[in-house]
Amino acid sequence: MNNLIITEDIMQEHEVKGYFEILRESVIRSRLTMTAVFFKVANSSQGTDIERNQVNHQISAFLKSKIRKTDLLFQLADGMHWGIFFLQSSEVEVKAFLKRIFAILTQEREFQQIELKASITEIRNNSVNFETLLDKNKHKLADDEQPTWSVEQVTDYRVQPTEQAKVSIIEQNEIFRKVLETTLKNLDIHHYTLDVSTYEDGYSFLQSDSYKTGHVHLVVMNDILPRKNGLEILHILREMPNEKKFIIYMMSERNSESATLNAYEGGVDEYIVKPFNLRLLEAKIKQTFARFWL
Amino acid sequence: MIKLSIPLLLTVCGVLLVVLFLFTIYILVQRKREIRFADVRDIFLQNSAQHWYNYLINDEIFSVVLVPRGRAQVAAIETIFSSYLKNITNEKVEHKIKEFSNLYLKKFYEKDLSSKRWSIRMNALYRIADFQIEALLDTCQQFENTKISEEEYFQLLKIYSIFQPELFIEKIEESSVNYSESEYRRLFVLLEDDVFIRLFEDFNSWTKKIQFAAIDTAAVKRNMQYIDQLKQLVTHEMPEIKIRALKGLYEIGVIDEIDPYVPFVTSDMWEIRLMVAKIFKHVPLNYTYAYLEQLLQDENWWVRSQAAKTIVEKREGIAKLQQFLESSNDLYAIEMAQETIVRKRGSK
Repeated sequence: MNNLIITEDIMQEHEVKGYFEILRESVIRSRLTMTAVFFKVANSSQGTDIERNQVNHQISAFLKSKIRKTDLLFQLADGMHWGIFFLQSSEVEVKAFLKRIFAILTQEREFQQIELKASITEIRNNSVNFETLLDKNKHKLADDEQPTWSVEQVTDYRVQPTEQAKVSIIEQNEIFRKVLETTLKNLDIHHYTLDVSTYEDGYSFLQSDSYKTGHVHLVVMNDILPRKNGLEILHILREMPNEKKFIIYMMSERNSESATLNAYEGGVDEYIVKPFNLRLLEAKIKQTFARFWL
Repeated sequence: MIKLSIPLLLTVCGVLLVVLFLFTIYILVQRKREIRFADVRDIFLQNSAQHWYNYLINDEIFSVVLVPRGRAQVAAIETIFSSYLKNITNEKVEHKIKEFSNLYLKKFYEKDLSSKRWSIRMNALYRIADFQIEALLDTCQQFENTKISEEEYFQLLKIYSIFQPELFIEKIEESSVNYSESEYRRLFVLLEDDVFIRLFEDFNSWTKKIQFAAIDTAAVKRNMQYIDQLKQLVTHEMPEIKIRALKGLYEIGVIDEIDPYVPFVTSDMWEIRLMVAKIFKHVPLNYTYAYLEQLLQDENWWVRSQAAKTIVEKREGIAKLQQFLESSNDLYAIEMAQETIVRKRGSK
């Protein structure tokens, strides 16, 4: 059994657990993916204790020099594993990071004693706890037959939770309102369920109070509406404390630069000139929702 | 004094009462018919809206329930089709509406065209154009030979411009009716590009209103195909045509060479110099600065103002204007440059 070799100047497993729980909840709230990477020394049984101690220090120092200020590096209690939490990073970015550091380690003479293997876990939901995460990754890296510089993957936490989004359609023309309602009710957006409501004028929308919630809220409205027009609603929504929750699509018959500019400066996310292609509207909405998650 | 006998008065009163009674009955029957019409229309609208969505958008098979039975159902279909065409662009939807209208609505509008009421005839003409009922083109041509109003003739021209552009051009040439510029624009905007370009080929043979409307429509359509035609017109002898052609080129916003525009920097007409200052917005500043500096010192306020705006909108614009302030002696130009810099900085 190897003696434990702990590097003092990086965070340790027990210190990180609390941080992890905060970061995990922040993944859901901010919709920013976090990716965890665990490293293990591939040739851990070779060399004397002193040599292994030196290598461990070298690994810690090397990893510390390569991470960003937003990444969290720590060593596990067994002294043979390191972990990094990459905040706001997907698996793709982390794979690129691994490719880069593995290339440096294999090419530069000063690191010739270091041989690593890694395991990646992309985290997009909060159903994972720290101990399970560690166990699963350690398990992935446990096989001594694995080749050096190999990258394993834990894929259990990559599916984001399904979220409810509100959709309000404010359109005076009854037929077209129904068309939009049917189209959006049938729209399949990954990881979102759409709760669609329709209103024939701006006033009835404001009376509904449906906009006073914390849900993501897509508002598809005409610029000209009876009672309260679209620009007034836009102004009211953008003045609200939860204004960032609104995705506002404004439909208009006016195809002029000044009207478009006015709408964008007022805070619309999309300005759509009528008549338009429904498939294009669907594509725009899908793309808007896809951008929510990193 | 006229002497009226009581029996005569009673008879007159009786007749009037009978007329009043008959008139009341007539109004009640008419009202009943209107209510019934609205009910049938609304019920059909409600029941068929989803079927129409499935047929037009979801490509589901055609159902016989969509075929109208009577005027009220035609009115409902008009509402549905108009809503789709006004709000949605989709070739398939347009084709299906056209196909359906040619098959099932044709007979209704054919009958409407022979109606004694102008509003019914006009509605039919609008729908023939909107729903592209080409099968009624011959009927429309026969209709033209009857006694029709100017508005009906205008609608007929619209129909010809959609279904038979050749005939449209012919009719415009021989037309005895003198429409306004905006009416011509409404007609030209519907023309296919190749037909519209043909208007330019005989440009000089058209009346001024048609010429102006053609240039303005080219600007509205913002199609690069019209650039050559407009470029030819900037050398036209009539100043109004020159100005409109320059405006059209500015609206299209694609300026591939500045040489054709340079002579206008020294034009006698300030409106032309103004348009050149606008056109130079679409050209990098290093090609146009010398001319814009000249326009910045123009005698006309609008030209100076536009030249300053054009310069300041460019990335290195503020620096250029400041350089100008240091070297110029023209107080009016200096004032304009200073104002424009302040306004630009204020808007950042």
